[in-house]
Amino acid sequence: MKRWDLRRVLPMIIAPIAALVLAALVSSAALLISGKDPLEAFSAMFDYAFGPNSGPDVTTEILNKATPYYLAALAVAIGFRMGLFNIGVDGQSRLGILAAGALGAASFLGVVPGPLRVVIMIIVAMAVGAAWAAVAALLKVYRGVSEVISTIMLNFIGGAIFAYLLTTERLGVKAVGGEIVSTPLLKSDSWIPGMSLFAGTANKMFGFAFVAIACGIAYWFLVGRTRFGFDLRATGLNPSAAVASGVSPKRMVIATMLLSGGVAGLVALPEVLGRDHAVTTSTPALGFTGIAIALLGRNNPVGIALAALLWAFLDVSNLPLDLLDIPKEIVTIMQGVTVLAVVVAYELAARVGRRQQQRSVGAATGEAAIVTLGIPAAIAAKLGVEAVSAPVEPPDSTAPTDPTVPGKHREEQS
Amino acid sequence: MPADAVPSSAGGPPAVELRGITKRFPGVVANHDVFLSVSGGTIHAIVGENGAGKSTLMKILYGMQRPDDGEIFIGGSPITIHSPQQAIRAGIGMVHQHFMLADNFTVLENVVLGAEDEAGIGAGARKKIQQLSSQYGLGVDPDELMEDLGVGDRQRVEILKVLYRGAKIVILDEPTAVLVPQEVDELFGNLRELTREGLTVIFISHKLDEVLSVADAITVIRRGTTVATVDPKSVTARDLATLMVGSELPSPEARESTVTDIPVLTINGLTVSTPAGRALVDDVSFTIHKGEVVGIAGVEGNGQAELVEAIMGTRAARGSVQLDGNAIGGWGTRQRREAGVGYIPEDRQRHGLLLDAPLWENRMLGHQTEPPNAKGPLLDIAGARRDTEQIVAQYDVRTPSIDVTAGALSGGNQQKLIVGREMSHIPKVLIAAHPTRGVDVGAQAAIWEHIREARRAGMGVLLISADLDELIGLSDSLKVIYRGRLVADADPDTVTPEELGLAMTGAAAGSSREESA
Amino acid sequence: MAGAAIVALGMTACGDNGGGATPTATKKTVKVGLAYDIGGRGDKSFNDAAAAGLEKAKTDLNIEANELEAGATETEQDKYNRLKLLCQGGFNPVIAVGFVYAGVDPANGPVAKAAADCPNTKFAIIDSVVDKPNVASLVFAEEQGSYLVGAAAALKSTTGRIGFVGGCKVDLIAKFEAGYIAGAKAAKPDIKVDVNYLSTPADRCSGFNDPAKGKTAAEGLYDAGADVVYQAAGGSGVGVFQAAKAKGKKAIGVDSDQYNTVDPALKDVIITSMLKRVDTAVFDFVKSMGEDKFAAGVQVFDLKKEGVGYSTTGGFVDDIKTQLDDYKAKIIAGTITVPTKP
Repeated sequence: MKRWDLRRVLPMIIAPIAALVLAALVSSAALLISGKDPLEAFSAMFDYAFGPNSGPDVTTEILNKATPYYLAALAVAIGFRMGLFNIGVDGQSRLGILAAGALGAASFLGVVPGPLRVVIMIIVAMAVGAAWAAVAALLKVYRGVSEVISTIMLNFIGGAIFAYLLTTERLGVKAVGGEIVSTPLLKSDSWIPGMSLFAGTANKMFGFAFVAIACGIAYWFLVGRTRFGFDLRATGLNPSAAVASGVSPKRMVIATMLLSGGVAGLVALPEVLGRDHAVTTSTPALGFTGIAIALLGRNNPVGIALAALLWAFLDVSNLPLDLLDIPKEIVTIMQGVTVLAVVVAYELAARVGRRQQQRSVGAATGEAAIVTLGIPAAIAAKLGVEAVSAPVEPPDSTAPTDPTVPGKHREEQS
Repeated sequence: MPADAVPSSAGGPPAVELRGITKRFPGVVANHDVFLSVSGGTIHAIVGENGAGKSTLMKILYGMQRPDDGEIFIGGSPITIHSPQQAIRAGIGMVHQHFMLADNFTVLENVVLGAEDEAGIGAGARKKIQQLSSQYGLGVDPDELMEDLGVGDRQRVEILKVLYRGAKIVILDEPTAVLVPQEVDELFGNLRELTREGLTVIFISHKLDEVLSVADAITVIRRGTTVATVDPKSVTARDLATLMVGSELPSPEARESTVTDIPVLTINGLTVSTPAGRALVDDVSFTIHKGEVVGIAGVEGNGQAELVEAIMGTRAARGSVQLDGNAIGGWGTRQRREAGVGYIPEDRQRHGLLLDAPLWENRMLGHQTEPPNAKGPLLDIAGARRDTEQIVAQYDVRTPSIDVTAGALSGGNQQKLIVGREMSHIPKVLIAAHPTRGVDVGAQAAIWEHIREARRAGMGVLLISADLDELIGLSDSLKVIYRGRLVADADPDTVTPEELGLAMTGAAAGSSREESA
Repeated sequence: MAGAAIVALGMTACGDNGGGATPTATKKTVKVGLAYDIGGRGDKSFNDAAAAGLEKAKTDLNIEANELEAGATETEQDKYNRLKLLCQGGFNPVIAVGFVYAGVDPANGPVAKAAADCPNTKFAIIDSVVDKPNVASLVFAEEQGSYLVGAAAALKSTTGRIGFVGGCKVDLIAKFEAGYIAGAKAAKPDIKVDVNYLSTPADRCSGFNDPAKGKTAAEGLYDAGADVVYQAAGGSGVGVFQAAKAKGKKAIGVDSDQYNTVDPALKDVIITSMLKRVDTAVFDFVKSMGEDKFAAGVQVFDLKKEGVGYSTTGGFVDDIKTQLDDYKAKIIAGTITVPTKP
C-alpha cells in the first residue's frame, strides 16, 4: 500500500510545469507579435539572474525578494486552506510593520538588548497584523460581512492610517537633505545580519529567511499534524461537513484570520530588519502578490516556496529588458498567464487524479464482484426467466468490473 | 384507444430496442451487453440496485452518454443519439429524479422555457398545455406559480414538459423517490393514462412493490447488464430482489425487543424557528431509551432535518436536550459528539465526508479530537490509519487502499465507512438520518445489522427515514412528524405502510391538534 | 544591445561622425543611461522635460542613450538595482530623475549606493543633493520661478484670492509654494492664497499621478473664490486645468511650457507656466560629460542661469511682462531674496 499514490500526485506536479510552459508560450507570442525575439528576452533575463557577471548579486537579490513573498503567500494560504479569502494581507502587513518599526526604534526601548528588541518587533508586528485581520473576522462572524469585501476595504483604511502616522509630525523622521519620510533608524544591535551566499558580491541573503523557513515548517505542522489543522482543512474541503463534525465555524474564522493576519504582519520584517533598518513608504505590502503565489504554490509550503522564488526571479530579472527595448510588461503578462493557467491546470489535474482513483477502486473491487454475477440456477429455474443477456459466466479478470463506481458520486451530487 | 398511434406490443417492431449496448468508463464497465426490448404503449420498468447501471443506460438512451458498442432502434429503425436534443427529436423525453423547474416562474413559463419554437410563449403555448393536460389527465393549470405547487404537481409539470416537446417515449428516473404513497398512486394513474393514449413509458426504480403494481414488463439489471425480463404477474417482490442482488434478500425486522427503561436521550419542548418566527420544529418532545430505536416518519421537509440539526447542535433551538442525564442543550456540536452522540447525516456527501480527502482522514472527521485519531492537540495519524484499516475490513468497505479519496468510492461504500466510523466510537445514542438511502441492498442489510447489533448493546437510535419498510422494520416505536410537530404515534408491530403514509400527509394532524389545543 | 553603439563626440574629424557633433578638445565616448521617476515618459511635465533634454542631446550631440522606467510599487532597492544595472552595464553618465532616487537617506540611498558601487561612473541626480565625489546634484531654484508666476497670478486675479495645488507634501514642493506666495504678496500685499496638497510621501506621493484628485482639489479652490490656481503636481496638473476650464477660471502650469503640451482645448486657461528647465539641466550635463567637464557637487539652476523662468506663450501675461521682468532682474541682482519655506 502506497501512502503517496503516484497516480494522484503526478498530475499535480505536471500541472504547474505545464502552466509555466503555456505562460512562456503566450509571452513569446506577445513578443513575436511586437517584433521582438523571445529567446533574446529570456536569455537576457537568465543571464542577468544567473550569469557570471551579475549572477551572484542578482541571485541573492532574488532570494531576498522571495522571502517577503513567501511570508505573504503563507498568510494568504492559511486562509485559503479553510476557504477564507484574506485579501487584506496588504493592510495587515503595513500596520504591523509600522508599529514594529516605530516601537523598535523608540527611545524608551533603548535599554532593552538588541535581540530582545527584535523579538518584541516580531511579536508586535504579528499582533497588530492579527488585530487588523480580526476586524474583518468579527465583521464576518457577527455581521455576516464577506471577508473579501471587508479586507479590501480595510486595506484602504490601513493604508490611510499608515500614511497618517508615517509623517514627521507623528512617527516619521526625515534624513538630512532627504524628502522621504521613514521611521527612525533602528539601532544596529537590532539588525539581523545577512549571510553571504556567493563569492563576488557584497549582497547578502536576509537572515530573516530562516524565520520564513521556520514559518513554512510551522505552517506544514499546524495544517497537517494538529487537530486545529484538521478542522481548518475540513472546513476548506467541505464547510457543512466540518460543522457537522463539531467544528465551530465562528471560532474557526476568527482563529484563522488571526493567524493569517499575524503572518501578514511579518511580511516586511526581512527587509526592515535586514537591510533598510527603517520603515519607509516603499516598504512592501505585497497582499496581491501573496495571493498569486499561494495559488501558484497550491497552498503547499514547498510549492509556495518554489512559486515565491519563481515570482521573485521574474520580478528581478526583468530589469535588463528595457535596455533591449523589450517592454518589461511582458513579465507581467507571464505572471498573469501563469496564475490563470495554473488554476485551470490544477483543476484538470484534480479531475485526472480523481478518475485514476476511481479506476483503481473499480479495478480492485470489480474482480470480487464478478464472481457473484450469475443468477443462481435454482432461482432461474423457479422463475423460468428468459435470459436476455449474454452469458453471465464469470469472465476472465481483464473484463468487466464493478459498474457501481464510475462517476457515481458526481451523479449523486446533482 | 388509438391503437394506430404507435406500434403496438402485438405486432410491429418494439418502440425501443437496445442491442448489445456497452459503455465503458476508464477502468470500469458501466454497461455491457445490454439487451432491452420495450413494446409500444406499455409501462416497462427497469429495476436494479443503486449503481447497477440503470442511470447510465437511460443516459445513453437520452443522448447524454454515448455507448461504446451496440445499437439503438426506435420503432424498428436504427438511430444514433448524440445529444438530448437529438433524443427529443426522436420522440424520447426524460423526467429527471431532481426536478429542473424555476420556482418563481409559472407552469407555462417553465414548460415553454427552452421550447419556445414549439408553440411560442403566449396563447398558443397555453392552449397546447391545456390540451395536453386534459388529454393525459394531468390536471395542470398553466398559470399557477411553481412555488405554490406540491411535489406531485411538480412532477406532473415535468411530465408535461416532456410531452410538450413531442415525446412518444417517456423515461422516468426514480419518479417515486420524492412522493408519499398517495402521490405514488396518482402518478401511476397518470402513467396508465399515458400508455392508454399510446405513449410508451420507461420507468426506473428500485422499489419492487411499486414496479410490480404498475409495470407491464420488468427488466432486471445487475452489475451493468440485463439479467432477465419478467412478467410482473408471475413474480413476487422477493423473486425480483433475488434477481437484483443474486442472493437471498434480508429484511429489516427488528426481531426481539431490547428496549430498557433507562432514558438515554430526552428531548423536551424542542423548537426551531426561522428568523421570521415560523416554527420549523414545533415543541417536539420524546425520549429514547437504551436499546431502543425511535423512528420518525414524515414527508421530507416537515422538520426532520431541522430536528436532527438541533439535536446535533448545529442549529439554534429552544427546549431541553438531555443526554444520559446531562443537559446538553447549550453544548457545541463537538462537545455533544464527544459525549457520545453518533451521527449518520442525511446527505453523506454534504455533511458526512470530505470527498477529496483520503479515507483515513474521513475516518477522523467528526471524531478528530478523540482517540485513536488524536493525542492531545496533535493528530495521531498512525492510529487513525490503523483504525481505518480495521473499519474497512469489518464494515466491508470495498476499496483498494485507505489512501484513495472518499469521492472515488461508491455511495454504498461511502455509507459503510460512515457507519463504521460512528459505530467504532460506541455512541450512547445514534442519530441516523436515512442511513440506507442510495445504498445497495447488500450494504443496506449490513447497515441494518450493525444498527441492530449496537441496539442490542444498549445504544439508543433516532431513526429518520423515507423508507417506510425500514422504519417499520427497525423501530421499536414510531412517531409521525408533520409541519414540525409530532402528530401521531404508531406501533411498528401493527401499522402498515399505507396507514403510516396517510398519517404523514397530515390526515391525522387535525385530530391530534384539536386534542392538544 | 541597442544601447551598445558607441558614438564619438570629438573635435578630430571622424569620418562616420556626420551627425553634427559639437567639437570638443578630446575624443570622448558617451553612453547615457537615464532612469525615470514614477510616471515616466508621457507625464506632460517633469519626466517629459527630462526626456526632452535627452532627445535634444541625442540629436544635437549624437550620443546614444537608454531610458529605464520605474514601477509604481517598487522599493528603494529596486531603484538601486536599476542604477546599478546601468552603471555596471557600461553606461556613463547615469542620470537619476527625481528625488525618489535619493532615497530615505540621501547619504545612503539608491544613488549614493550605486555611486559607491561604480566609482568610475559619473552620476547626476535631479531635484536632490547626494554628496558623493562622482555625483552631480542638479537642483533648481523653483522658488524664484514660482515667485514670478505668483506675481502674475496676483496681478491677474480680480477676486483677490488665488490658489496653489501641490502634488505631494515634501520640501521640494514647499519651495514652489513659498516662492508663489512671496511673489503674490509682493505684487498685491492683501492677496489671499489658498493651498492644497494632494498626497504625502506615505501614500507614495500618489498626488503626482492622479488627475482626478487634482481636479477635485482645484474645484474646491475655485469654489472658495480663487480665480487663478498654480499647480505643482506633475501628472495631476491636467486635472487642475480641466477644473479651470469647467469653472471658467485660470491656471498656471509647471515645469514645461504647458500651453504647448496640454490638450488644445485646455490651452486658453493657462496664463503662464513656471518653467523648470529640467531639459536644459539634462542637456547641459550630458554636454559637459562629452567635453570631459564633469563637476561633482551641487549645481543650482536659477533665474540667472535661465534654469527657471516663466512662459509667455498665448500672450496672457504680455500686459504685465514689464513688471515681471522687473522682479526677475531684482532677483538676479540679489535685491529680492525669495524664501524656500512657506
